[in-house]
Amino acid sequence: MAAIFTVDPRSGVPIYLQLIEQVKRGVALGTLAAGEQLPTVKALALELTVNPNTVARAYRDLERDGVIETSPGRGSFVRNNGTASSELRTDVAEPALDNAIRTAKGLGLDSNEVRRLFARALSRWYPGEES
Amino acid sequence: MNPAPPVIAFDNLTKRYRNFEAVHDLTLHIQAGSICGLLGPNGAGKTTAMKTLLGFLRPTSGSTAVDGAPVTPQTFEYLSYVPETDALFGELTVAQHVELNRLSQPRHDESRAQELLGVFGLDRRKRVRKLSKGQKTALALVLALASKPRVLVLDEPSSGLDPVFQRVVLDLLIDAASEGGTVLFSSHQVGQVERAADHVAIMRGGRLLVYSDVDSLKGQEKIIEATFPSSIPDLNGALRVDAVRRIDHAGNMVRISVRKDDGEIAQRLAPYNPTSIRVVDRNLEDIFLDVVSEKN
Repeated sequence: MAAIFTVDPRSGVPIYLQLIEQVKRGVALGTLAAGEQLPTVKALALELTVNPNTVARAYRDLERDGVIETSPGRGSFVRNNGTASSELRTDVAEPALDNAIRTAKGLGLDSNEVRRLFARALSRWYPGEES
Repeated sequence: MNPAPPVIAFDNLTKRYRNFEAVHDLTLHIQAGSICGLLGPNGAGKTTAMKTLLGFLRPTSGSTAVDGAPVTPQTFEYLSYVPETDALFGELTVAQHVELNRLSQPRHDESRAQELLGVFGLDRRKRVRKLSKGQKTALALVLALASKPRVLVLDEPSSGLDPVFQRVVLDLLIDAASEGGTVLFSSHQVGQVERAADHVAIMRGGRLLVYSDVDSLKGQEKIIEATFPSSIPDLNGALRVDAVRRIDHAGNMVRISVRKDDGEIAQRLAPYNPTSIRVVDRNLEDIFLDVVSEKN
């Protein structure tokens, strides 16, 4: 079963970035296994009704980042790279944390207040662990 | 090695009717494999630009080209054009139109034509005058695509079509581009351009205001919302930079539309001690409305 991606073209986030994020997330979570074949550019463009050059751009960037590899004539595959998965998890998680901190900073909180909120959130999500 | 010429080129094109300038100094190049969406309010010059490209109108000055040369009758063997108002014959049936196309278009592919009729659910026996607006649009598209053209110029290719068939049209354009075809299409629906196009051109009053890669444009255009404790200080000094498109005030908040900003505006606001600064992404519709409503 091929991977299923979704994009929101009306979002302000460029479509190729949405695709990159989803592939990385899929690899990080293991829903895209090492060696798994990705849809061709044309197939994915038609499945999502998005521009083929946009899909190609996402694949190019993913290849540059070592997430996938493309062999001419055969297609694109998730790279067989043992360490990639844990690195990708931080790759996906870090921007989400950045967003949260940007919001807090935008609201005028200083770093001590943010740290206090962060500790509180940590204890909610990792109960029983000392922070 | 010379790079390949753009498949579609407008170079300093100006088209004047008596004392009305429909297109002013338009320069726009579209490369092979690209889908360019052309947006603009009515009267922006979209149709005039297309008709001049196709040789139906003579430029007042400047030039247009397909594959680096002016359009000739032979160009239409691999270029298809769908005009804004259909060029169909009311008394002929759908099947007769397909037959006419087969006789007049050397590259007509009958099985492709039949396949496309099926895709749009068109009744072959129906006379064109009995078709709905959307069905006429669909028939014009079937005839245009039956020759598997390498270049497509479409003026409002989905007018009158319901959302399901609008999506079919976009998929046909995407299919053409992924086989290396080049597409220029105008639309009033920003969402279609946002999905299917890799490049967007925005015209107003005969002038090209924006021509950009859609993803880069969305990545650059932001709104910065800054809130201040009581009233908004005089920010004119801080905001007098090229990147600022528009400034709106709402109570103690100021919304600044910026282009090509890399955090400069937010830094310039910091000395005024805003209580909050928020950067908001913008979709193509926001950007379009901003661009066409901008003062000259």
